Amino acid sequence: MRDALCASEPGIGLAIQMIVLCLVALSAWLVLRVGRISLGQQAYFGIGGYCTALLTTVGQWPLDIALLAATLGGAIAAALMSWPLLRLPGLHYAVASLAVAELFRLSLSGWQYQVPGPSGTPVGPDGVHGFRDIRWLFDHQISQFDYLMWASAVLIAVVLALVALSRTRLGLAMKMVGHDETLAASQGLPVHRLRLLATALAGAVAAFAGGLYAHQLTYIEPALFDPMLGIHAVGYSMLGGLATPLGPLLGAALDLGLLEATRWFEGWRMVLFGTLVAVFLRWRPRGLLDETLVCRLRSAWQSRHHTVSTAMADQS
Amino acid sequence: MDFLQRTLDGLLEAGPYALVGLGLTLGFGLLHRVNLAYGASAMLGAYAGSWLHVRLDWPVWAVLPCVVLATALAGLYVQWLCFPDTDRATGSVQRASSVVSGADSREVVALASSFAVWMQLEQLCVNLLPRHLNPFPDIASTHEWSLGPLGLRPDRLVMCIAAAGLVMWVARWIHTNRTGLALRAAADHPLAAHLSGLRVPQLQRWGFVLASGLSGVAACAVLALEGQVTPMFGMWMLMKGLAAAMIGGLGNLRGLLWSAALLGVAEAHAQALFGPLGRDAATWGLLLLALLLRSARKTSWAPAGGLHA
Repeated sequence: MRDALCASEPGIGLAIQMIVLCLVALSAWLVLRVGRISLGQQAYFGIGGYCTALLTTVGQWPLDIALLAATLGGAIAAALMSWPLLRLPGLHYAVASLAVAELFRLSLSGWQYQVPGPSGTPVGPDGVHGFRDIRWLFDHQISQFDYLMWASAVLIAVVLALVALSRTRLGLAMKMVGHDETLAASQGLPVHRLRLLATALAGAVAAFAGGLYAHQLTYIEPALFDPMLGIHAVGYSMLGGLATPLGPLLGAALDLGLLEATRWFEGWRMVLFGTLVAVFLRWRPRGLLDETLVCRLRSAWQSRHHTVSTAMADQS
Repeated sequence: MDFLQRTLDGLLEAGPYALVGLGLTLGFGLLHRVNLAYGASAMLGAYAGSWLHVRLDWPVWAVLPCVVLATALAGLYVQWLCFPDTDRATGSVQRASSVVSGADSREVVALASSFAVWMQLEQLCVNLLPRHLNPFPDIASTHEWSLGPLGLRPDRLVMCIAAAGLVMWVARWIHTNRTGLALRAAADHPLAAHLSGLRVPQLQRWGFVLASGLSGVAACAVLALEGQVTPMFGMWMLMKGLAAAMIGGLGNLRGLLWSAALLGVAEAHAQALFGPLGRDAATWGLLLLALLLRSARKTSWAPAGGLHA
C-alpha cells in the first residue's frame, strides 16, 4: 500500500507531493483558524481525487475544468457535512469529523463503477483497489515539470488569497470567532455561518489537492486518505504556526524536509522526528510562525521600510 | 438462531471494548488529557511483552505485569513530553492565551505533540520486532460451552465479567475515594485544588500514569485472547477506545459499559450482513449518531469553544 504521506519520489515528484500536502495542511489551518480541529480533511481530499478522476477519465473533461468542479464539490460536501457537526465542542467536533471521513472512506472502498475507457480497458472506481489509469497528463503530454509549475502557481495563488482574506473584515471576523466565539457572538457576528464558510473553503482547498494528487500519481485508492493524512495536516499547521497561511507550508516543509534530510537514519527517522516535534512544541507551543514572531517580523519590516524611505527622501 | 448467536458474540465483545475505553475515558474525559499516543503506549507495552515472550521465553505470569509496567512507563514519558507541569509555584493552571477558539491552547498543542509521540512509539515497536505478526502469551480457552443451540466462549465471558467489575470499581473509586476525588479536583479545578493543599502536578502526573496502566491492562486482556500483536494495534486501541468512550459519553464510566455492549452487538450484526467494511462502518456510524444526538439534546451545551465538554 502506498501512503499519501510517503514522499518516496525524489525531485519533481517530491515537489508536487509537497505542494499537495501543503494544500491539505492549509485546509486544516483554515478550520483551526475558526476554532475547530478537523481530523477529517482527508475526506474532501478523497472527494476531490475521485471527482476529478471521474470527470477526466469517464467524462473526458479537461483537467482544469474538472478540478474546478471537484473544488466546488468539495466545498459543498464540506458545508453539508459540517452543518450539523459545527455546534459540537472541540474534541467532539474533531472526532465527528474523523468519523465522517472514515465513513466516506469505507463507502468508497465498497464503490464500484467502471465503464470502458478510450482504449477499451475499464476505468472508474473499483472498490478497495481504487481508481487506476488516470492518464490525463500522459494523454495530453503534460510534462511533470509543467505540472509542477502549474501546481506551484496555484499554491501561491491560494496563499495570497488567504493572506488577502485575512486582511478583510470577513477574515478578521473569522479570526475573532477562532479566538473567542462568545465575544464574537456578542458583537453580532454570525459564528455558525462564519465557521461553515471556513470549513467550506477548507473542503475546497483539500478537494483541489486531491485532484492534483490523483493526476500526478495516475492512481488513487481509499487507503490513501486514512486518518493519518488528516492528523498530519493538523500537525503541520501546529508545527508551522497558526498566525499566517505560511505556517502550514513551513510545517509541511519541515516534516518532509526532515524526513528527507534524515533518510540516513533509516528505521529511526520517525523516532527522531517525533522527539523533535514534541520538544519543539514545548518550546514554541503556538508553532514557529506564531503571532508574536509575525508581529515582530512585520514591525521590523515596517521600520526598515520607513528608514529606507526617510533616507531616500533626505537624499532627494 | 444465527441472530441470537451473533448477538451473544457481540455482547461478549463488550469486555475488550470496555477495557480499551476505560483508560481513554479516564484520561480524556475525567483528567482532560487529550492523548493521541494512548494506543501507541499500550502497543509499546505489548511489543515489550512479546519481545520478553519470544526472545527470553518468559512465562505468561511474568510477561503480563511487565506489559502493564511498560505501558505505564510509556505513559509517564508521554506525560513528561506532551503535558508539561503547569505553574509549579502555584500549582495553578492558568489558561494560556488562546490560539484556537478560546480553548486551552496547551490542550491543542498536546494533541499535536502526542501525535508526534505516537509516531515515535510506533516506530520503536517496529524496530523492536520488525515482523508483522508477533506472538503474545496466549491464554485463550479452546473449548466452548453449549447453551442449547448457542455456543459460549468461557474465556470471553470471564473477560466480560472482569471488565465490568473493573469499570464499576474505577467508577466507585474515582467518585468516592479521597485520592480519586483529588485526581478529579486537580483536573477540573487546579487552582481550587492547589488552594486546598493538594499537590496538583503530582496528582495530574499519577492520574495520567494510572490511565496508561489501565490501557496496559486492556492490551494484556485483548492480546492474551488473540495470541498475537501487530503494528495496527495502537491505531485499533485508539479508535475503538474513542468509539466506546464517546458513545457512552466521555468521562461517563457507567455509560462506557452499555456503549461497549452496543458497539459489540452492532459490529457483530454489521459484519454478518456487510462483511468487514460493514463492521467498521457500524463503529463510525454509531459514534457519529451518538455525537449528533448529544449535540441535538444539548443545544446550549457548547462552551466557548472548549476542547472538551
